[in-house]
Amino acid sequence: MSEANRQDEAEKLSRREAAVKLIKISLGLAAGAGVLGEFTGTEKAEAGAMLEVPAAAPPPLPERIPQDEAIFRMQQELHRALQKPVAERNWTMVIDNRKCVGCSTCTVACKAENKLPPGVVYRPVMEEEYGKFPNVARRFLPRPCMHCTHPPCTKVCPVSATWRSKDGVVVIDYEKCIGCRYCISACPYGARTFDWGEYYTDGTPQREKYETEPSFEYVKEWPRAKGRSPVNNTRKCHFCLHRLVNGMLPMCVTSCIGRATYFGDRNDPESLVSELIGNSRLMRLKEELGTAPSVYYLV
Amino acid sequence: MKEANPNYTRRDFLRLSTFVGGTGLLAAQAGVFGEIGTANAGVAQQAGNYALAKPENIIYTTCLQCTTACSIKAKIVNGVLAKIDGNPYSASNMVPNIPYDLPPVDVARVDGKICLKGQAGLQHVYDPYRLRKVLKRAGTRGSGKWRTIPFEQAVAEIINGGQLFKDIGENRQVPGLKDIVKLRHPQVAKAMAEDINKIRKKELTITEFQAKYKDHLDVLIDPEHPDLGPKNNQFLFQCGRIHNGRIEFSKRFVNGAIGSINWVEKTTLCGQTSNKAWVRSTMAYEEGKWKGGVKSPRPDWANTEFVLVVGSIVFEANYGPVQESEPITEGLINGRLKVAVADPRLTKVASKAWKWLPIKPGTDGTLGLAMIRWILEKDRYDRRYLQNANAAAAKADGETTWSDAGYLVKIVEGRPQKYLRADEVGLGTKEQFVVYWGGKFLAVDPNDTVQPVEGDLFVDTVYQEIQLKSALQLLREEAYRRTLDEYAEITGLKVEDIAAVAREFTSHGKKAAVEFYRGPIKHTNGWYNAQALIALNFLIGNPDWQGGLMKPGSDWDYTGEKKDGKPYPVGKMHPGKLTAFGVPITREGVKYEESTLFAGYPAKRPWYPFSGNVAQETWPSIAEGYPYPIQAVLLHSHSPMYSIPGGMHQLGTLLEPEKVPLLIACDIVIGETSMYADYIFPDVTYLERWGTGQKPHHIRVKTSTVRQPVIAPLTDTVEVAGEKLPLSLETLMIAIAEKLGLSGFGADGFAPGMPLKRPEDFYLKLVANIACGDKPGDVVPDAGGGELELFRQSRRHLSPAVFDEEKWRQALRPQDWRKVVYVLNRGGRFESTNRGYDGDHARYLLGGMNRFYLEEIATSRHPISGQYFSGYAVWQEIQDSMGKTIPVEGDFKLITHKEVFGTQSRTATNYWAQLSVQPENYVELNRSDARRLGVKDGDRVRIKSRSNPEGVHELGNGRQRYVEGTVKVMEGLRPGVVSVSTCYGHWAYGSNDVEVDGVIIRGDARRGTGIHVNPVFRLDDNLRGTPLSEPIGGSVSFYDTWVTLEKV
Repeated sequence: MSEANRQDEAEKLSRREAAVKLIKISLGLAAGAGVLGEFTGTEKAEAGAMLEVPAAAPPPLPERIPQDEAIFRMQQELHRALQKPVAERNWTMVIDNRKCVGCSTCTVACKAENKLPPGVVYRPVMEEEYGKFPNVARRFLPRPCMHCTHPPCTKVCPVSATWRSKDGVVVIDYEKCIGCRYCISACPYGARTFDWGEYYTDGTPQREKYETEPSFEYVKEWPRAKGRSPVNNTRKCHFCLHRLVNGMLPMCVTSCIGRATYFGDRNDPESLVSELIGNSRLMRLKEELGTAPSVYYLV
Repeated sequence: MKEANPNYTRRDFLRLSTFVGGTGLLAAQAGVFGEIGTANAGVAQQAGNYALAKPENIIYTTCLQCTTACSIKAKIVNGVLAKIDGNPYSASNMVPNIPYDLPPVDVARVDGKICLKGQAGLQHVYDPYRLRKVLKRAGTRGSGKWRTIPFEQAVAEIINGGQLFKDIGENRQVPGLKDIVKLRHPQVAKAMAEDINKIRKKELTITEFQAKYKDHLDVLIDPEHPDLGPKNNQFLFQCGRIHNGRIEFSKRFVNGAIGSINWVEKTTLCGQTSNKAWVRSTMAYEEGKWKGGVKSPRPDWANTEFVLVVGSIVFEANYGPVQESEPITEGLINGRLKVAVADPRLTKVASKAWKWLPIKPGTDGTLGLAMIRWILEKDRYDRRYLQNANAAAAKADGETTWSDAGYLVKIVEGRPQKYLRADEVGLGTKEQFVVYWGGKFLAVDPNDTVQPVEGDLFVDTVYQEIQLKSALQLLREEAYRRTLDEYAEITGLKVEDIAAVAREFTSHGKKAAVEFYRGPIKHTNGWYNAQALIALNFLIGNPDWQGGLMKPGSDWDYTGEKKDGKPYPVGKMHPGKLTAFGVPITREGVKYEESTLFAGYPAKRPWYPFSGNVAQETWPSIAEGYPYPIQAVLLHSHSPMYSIPGGMHQLGTLLEPEKVPLLIACDIVIGETSMYADYIFPDVTYLERWGTGQKPHHIRVKTSTVRQPVIAPLTDTVEVAGEKLPLSLETLMIAIAEKLGLSGFGADGFAPGMPLKRPEDFYLKLVANIACGDKPGDVVPDAGGGELELFRQSRRHLSPAVFDEEKWRQALRPQDWRKVVYVLNRGGRFESTNRGYDGDHARYLLGGMNRFYLEEIATSRHPISGQYFSGYAVWQEIQDSMGKTIPVEGDFKLITHKEVFGTQSRTATNYWAQLSVQPENYVELNRSDARRLGVKDGDRVRIKSRSNPEGVHELGNGRQRYVEGTVKVMEGLRPGVVSVSTCYGHWAYGSNDVEVDGVIIRGDARRGTGIHVNPVFRLDDNLRGTPLSEPIGGSVSFYDTWVTLEKV
């Protein structure tokens, strides 16, 4: 079956399931929302409500780790941020394009960490070639979810399954998502992809177990199986929230071999990301749309 | 499971159970797949319960997705390897690395960096096409028909031989290993080996040798040519990415137990000429011989200010992206570093460079000579450094190295030959050299640390009727033979660019370097290219200086043989060890002129006295039985049919039982070469086995990685001499040794009562060698009770066949156990990154002499053309083994490149990486060329060459395909050059259908996408199916083929 056919099939299936879910929800919305605690839409979403936020932040890094180095400093700053109430954090990413070597390590590390199936990618690295021989350049642009302050994607969700948390992360509640994919069209950055329920090793002698082992997104375990979320859900980057609450930086940050990605709390004026945001080379993608991304680029 | 295939059902597969898939093994271990709560709910985790951050779910080990051998952190959940990250203890994967003595429980939440290949490593181990049982062919070689047979039967068959394929109509008698291992007496082997050396030195005649060994002549391949060695040499072990630990284990078997000299790696496909040229250029003169040398001095990227990268894809390949990228990107943005890149292709590092020099392929050394000319003319070299002729002079200037720049070379019959020795002109001893300084000739001992001697750099004189030139004078004369305009013409670069790069290179004192590896040297002139680029470094005197050129920080001696007082010198702990001797099948490390086969020039086939592991020579040599026929081959982690340029032309050799009577493979899958074997023994991957990694090139501190099993092996478990072992290369060797009664293995393998019956009996001793350090007091601490418990906990998912604590302990002295656990709990032993420097210098020094001139090369002859080599860098056209220039034979020069997600033949299993990031590779063309050809993105083209005029790839048994690929048009490639990456175009390795026990196993077409260009590479016209090669370091040529493209 060609890729296109497979997508068509999956689309039909998914549309049908979505329709059924819509009906269910229209009959009993409150029950559906109960899983997440009390909220009725984007504006009133309880930040972190879907997360089992630890009562106490994880321990700090051992003192003997040199914390003036950026990678450790950022991890220590996480620790500091986690001491604060959720609403006082503002998770922010800064990507230094000059340091990006275009290796796609972040793409694959993210796939591995979040057990992403075929067709789902949270952080592709775009590449462009500029100029004419011999005056040519190649440029690389990692593109995670922008975690917009004013996200266009959350507004179109018919079931309020996606919203911006108070700590700045745009999240999806897999248990509510009906797979209608309106949000995919609404995102101006193409940051959302759909989980068609595929497996990389299907069509080989064995579907390998690493594909069905649970992912840990949103601080839950998601064993992968037919008909079970996140299959048939929209999926996207969540800044590795499950790692953040465990005091660990997002996977794209720790794996990066050019050390091009910075992460932290921009409500903390002492944080590295706050320092970097003051740089004159700073830019955000499609600034003109007024989405106010939480992902910045240094160019 | 897709239902598209009517021939094959899941039930068939489970019944078959040849591959690891379908075994139910993992399912049995898992226990987590039950329904959880509502069908559509994630299960909320307790805070801090993130399974990938739990210390008891972590085992540190060593990657092998490429040869850099990063240290990795394997995270195991429910017995399944769930995630791989970098090991923060290792300087290779975290800068700065965390203190070595921090307990693993405290640092489980710190992840190091690791590239996308490393990340995708679990798709290498969990590959649905992995083998778990022994396969024996059930049709002709390469027919794709197999049957499974018990391991014990397979071992018995290859040992005993006989009519092994009678059931499929082959009546020939196959020789068994027992017929090959004829010489079994260690004393006879040792004595013969010594006398063979005497024959080579003409100190003993063949007749005398025959008389002395009249009772043992039957063990020789040919008593008339005893220097070929014993019949044992007719067993060939050819391997590829085998790496440390396994190197010693397999040499123990091949050399010491079987007694064959033919342990041949595949390193001439890689950067070997670079390594060999560096080693020669940094050798010391001791006891009248050139010794030692360092194979991989590299720029100190963390402190350098300018680097010229020549043909090295430092962000995508090399040694390796994980170590090199961070200091480069950091240097580029903070203004410390400027980079220039000479490469026909705009690599990712070139895209960040101050200057990209889109050089013509094969002219790298010419760029070097052009820069040398410019630098010498402008007086921008480090005269003070270069004038130092010995250790004392260097020391007086605060230098740790010196050079041969002023050493006088004798010009005899118009040709530079040996350095002048002081005794020849009555100035000193035969171990002293001569320089000219202050109007006098002076004797110089390079290693003299007391009496400083300096030498004039440019000397051209006659002394006592001997014509003499200084080493640097010779190089200058060569550099001055062409003007910068002529160099620009040859290299296709602009004069201004060459001058600008030379100026920049000489504007940073010692904080500059030239980096190269594979690009410049995979040409027939690669040796001289390397020498020119090495010379540039020496001209600015950068060795050992911060920001200059440094050697790798080294490692702790894991072999136990290089340092005194080590607990386990494993190579010496081998009672009854045979001394392997004779001429290797590849005729390497031996001079043609000294062999009894010498019959003038051209030799029948090349000899490689300065090289080793000349992979491209094995199969053609077997085909011609030169220097002797081979009876049995064991292939391991090397795929000559895939990875040797023009390897296809030797397929006929593999397919012909007369030439290769017994062809055995030990492989993890049915690969592009193991598919042609008689038997395939399943091997385990790097995540299921032992090893000791290798030291990283770009790390300045001591780093010893350990590879250890992180999951239960997916191969079948068998019993060998009472021990339950997973099928693997080690198990195969242990079993053969046991059945044949070979030395070095079994109950008394290391010593009476000291067994080698299990892999860990061997490898844990290597770990103990690392733990115990290289000098008194240099030991790691004992693991405490908590660490011991963590050690056990993190191995709770391993089967007793791999982890049985009692058996592991028995492999060691009692006092070593806790130290070994300490090392295993951290994946090796790692010095802190802050120990890399000592003031302005490296802590671990290259030291010693650096040579512009290699007298031993200059006095050797090409065994085919009979022409003398040059001792210094020269410009040489691309040529064949008879010295005939390869003319323009097509529209394009074909080059290859590596992708950051690809390593030759084995990354097509990486569905997350290679197959997702770029599902196929391309025939890359410059836009102007594409326009001329009338092709655009997505068009298909066929590639043809003189050695493959139709562009056909022969696959054996009447099957063939065209060498065809998809066009990608770009600006970032020199016009006239076509580039194709090297990790696609599979025809086996799970990409094709195979039949096992009568059942068809369908391949996965995703793994077979793209184009594989090796079948069109240019062959040497004189060598019958061997690619063009570089004759000194032995590298096969990768970038010297002219091709034409035809739109299809």
